[in-house]
Amino acid sequence: MRLAGSVAGVAAISVTGVTASAQAPDSTTRGAMPADPATVAMVRQWNGECVACHTEQALLFPPKAGMDLDRLADALMDPFAFNQSQHGGMACKTFHGKGFQDYPHDKQAGDAILGCSECHAKEAFRIQSQLDRSVHARNLSDRFSCTSCHDPHVDRVARDLADARQVVAQDNGKCLECHNSDERFAELGVSLPEARTRPDIDTIHEWLPNTQRHWQAVRCIECHTPASTHSTIAVNHQILDAEQAERNCTVCHSRDSSLNLRLYRWQTEREASELGFLNSAILGDSYVIGATRNVYLDQLAYWLVGLLLAALALHGGLRIIGALVRKRKGS
Amino acid sequence: MSDRVLILPLWIRLWHWSNAVLMIVLTITGISLHFADPESTWLVPFEISARVHIVAGLALAILYGFFVIANAWSGNWWQYVPKPQGWRDRVGKQMRFYFRGIFHGEPHPYPPTPQANFNSLQQLVYWIVMYLFMPILVVTGLIFTWPDLAPRRVFGMDGLVSVAVIHYLAGLVIVLFMLSHIYLATTGERVGSLVRMMITGWHEHEKR
Ligand code: HEC
Ligand code: HEC
Ligand code: HEC
Ligand code: HEC
Ligand code: HEC
Ligand code: HEC
Repeated sequence: MRLAGSVAGVAAISVTGVTASAQAPDSTTRGAMPADPATVAMVRQWNGECVACHTEQALLFPPKAGMDLDRLADALMDPFAFNQSQHGGMACKTFHGKGFQDYPHDKQAGDAILGCSECHAKEAFRIQSQLDRSVHARNLSDRFSCTSCHDPHVDRVARDLADARQVVAQDNGKCLECHNSDERFAELGVSLPEARTRPDIDTIHEWLPNTQRHWQAVRCIECHTPASTHSTIAVNHQILDAEQAERNCTVCHSRDSSLNLRLYRWQTEREASELGFLNSAILGDSYVIGATRNVYLDQLAYWLVGLLLAALALHGGLRIIGALVRKRKGS
Repeated sequence: MSDRVLILPLWIRLWHWSNAVLMIVLTITGISLHFADPESTWLVPFEISARVHIVAGLALAILYGFFVIANAWSGNWWQYVPKPQGWRDRVGKQMRFYFRGIFHGEPHPYPPTPQANFNSLQQLVYWIVMYLFMPILVVTGLIFTWPDLAPRRVFGMDGLVSVAVIHYLAGLVIVLFMLSHIYLATTGERVGSLVRMMITGWHEHEKR
């Protein structure tokens, strides 16, 4: 999040008067990755100019003399991750504005940066109101923005990630970047009314068995957000506090597992019921007790136990009759 | 009066009853986990089941280890081994008793003695249950408790899926065994006499 960190403060101030026309999401290119190869090549070439200076490589071998390497070190990006990201088809200069095109960069260049809402107006409007009701808004509203969690240079769209595990790693990484780092937590903590030390995440969730396995298989937001209320936005952004967070295991560990509607939302669309397993989309990643049981094997159990009980009842009945008959004969 | 023989030493009786309690607890919590349903009124809540099942399962695993060692130590394991000579005849006779003789009040063909407290049918079934299905159940249960021990992938699915299915099937076999076992415990000379023997250790041949 190096570069994004520096963007954070600015992104919150929504910039007006900047034209985002070229790569707006509703344009034919849809921004993510333009369909025609010529446009892709052009964007790559533009971005290559920025990449020439904004990578680790350039820190070691500066392409230009007299650069402020300390500040550059805080403004690095990974071009491979970027090209795969949801914004990978976008030109850097669309987002950052013209002021960064030449080096040294224009002193006022940072002001021209686009806020997320410039392009994601509809989502941002709804999401912002959810964030306002979040735990983080209580004490941190001025220091918490979209880029506290989102890294526009690396984030990938959940629906495009084939593997739910990757979605989990990406999304939990957002939360754990602060909640597993005393340093980051303290950075934000300065604005808290009273100083708080970071509670250890595993200790807080001690009641959850196989805690580490859960972190690898489900997302924090599965339990810390209510269900999404908008059909076009998969994730509700209202982060719930300790009191409201979900603690009921059967939300996931049951036949009607909510994992289907949340984490596996994209996978279930591809699901073909496999060999009689319920929620079989999950099986590639996990066996989830209660949720991924096999209906054929369950029927086998019902039948075997039922037949056995019937046979034993019959046997017992015959024994009683036998005993009664003997008694009558004997007396 | 009755003549009594001591058949079951104390350690076997203690093992049997603690085993029985654990098995029943594991069956109830196991069903509650497998068929977990937020709307159910009779299943044990998932969070409690998960905890209890793991603790009881570990206790059962330890107890099973004790059982295997104590059996080897005391020579009791010999009781479980089916004796090949005339084996079919003896099993046949035992089956005939359960399917015919018992209804006519005939005496048990092979009443327990200190040398042979199992009949051949018991030997066969107990041997399979205790030395085949129990180890499968215990080992898959231990893997389930520490899922990192499971293989990464099996048949293109998460490795734990196959472990879970085997655990479920082995558990099913043991539950079927347990139901039959409890019922057959009523087939002594009197309805309660086998249970009494399992508690006191004494087999009483009652005069009629
Ligand atoms: C010749 C090298 C070079 C090129 C080319 C270059 N930059 Fe930079 N950039 C730097 C250096 C060095 C800094 C460190 C801050 C400074 O010295 O202004 C920086 C800083 C930045 C920052 C962070 C500003 C801040 O306030 O921390 C952004 C954003 C940025 N550049 C964007 C871009 C974009 C977008 C492009 C391509 C259109 C680009 N840069 C091209 C060298 C370059
Ligand atoms: C210049 C316009 C622009 C800006 C500014 C912008 N984005 Fe995007 N964003 C896009 C486009 C275009 C897509 C691709 C949409 C698609 O593939 O349907 C996208 C995709 C996304 C996605 C994937 C979601 C989806 O439904 O596809 C997320 C999340 C996202 N952006 C977050 C952000 C955040 C956070 C910021 C602010 C740091 C931001 N964006 C700034 C244009 C922009
Ligand atoms: C507390 C952390 C956090 C903050 C703050 C945050 N987001 Fe998100 N956002 C997430 C997570 C986690 C996801 C889920 C990503 C996924 O799996 O698709 C997400 C998903 C999204 C999506 C994709 C939704 C979809 O339909 O898939 C968009 C768009 C988005 N965020 C925009 C924003 C915007 C705009 C802001 C600022 C107003 C913002 N987010 C602030 C954590 C956050
Ligand atoms: C930028 C750092 C940062 C990120 C990213 C972040 N948090 Fe936090 N979070 C904090 C800080 C700091 C607090 C303490 C706020 C307070 O006490 O008012 C906090 C508080 C919380 C609390 C409330 C604890 C309580 O006292 O009730 C929850 C729950 C929480 N975060 C969950 C999440 C989840 C889930 C995510 C990911 C979607 C996330 N956080 C992402 C920094 C972060
Ligand atoms: C299985 C559901 C679940 C998952 C997954 C989950 N949490 Fe929680 N979380 C809870 C519950 C329930 C509480 C309240 C615990 C309590 O009160 O003892 C809680 C409490 C918290 C708190 C509050 C601590 C405090 O002192 O008040 C934070 C912070 C937190 N979780 C962060 C996270 C993060 C980060 C993740 C992802 C790595 C995560 N949670 C995943 C259910 C969950
Ligand atoms: C957000 C959904 C969710 C919630 C809530 C949840 N779990 Fe899980 N749980 C999972 C998933 C997914 C796995 C599979 C992890 C893996 O791949 O190993 C899992 C795994 C487990 C396992 C390891 C065995 C297995 O099935 O892989 C146990 C035990 C377990 N959970 C117990 C609990 C208990 C007890 C609770 C309630 C306190 C709970 N879980 C709440 C999703 C959840």
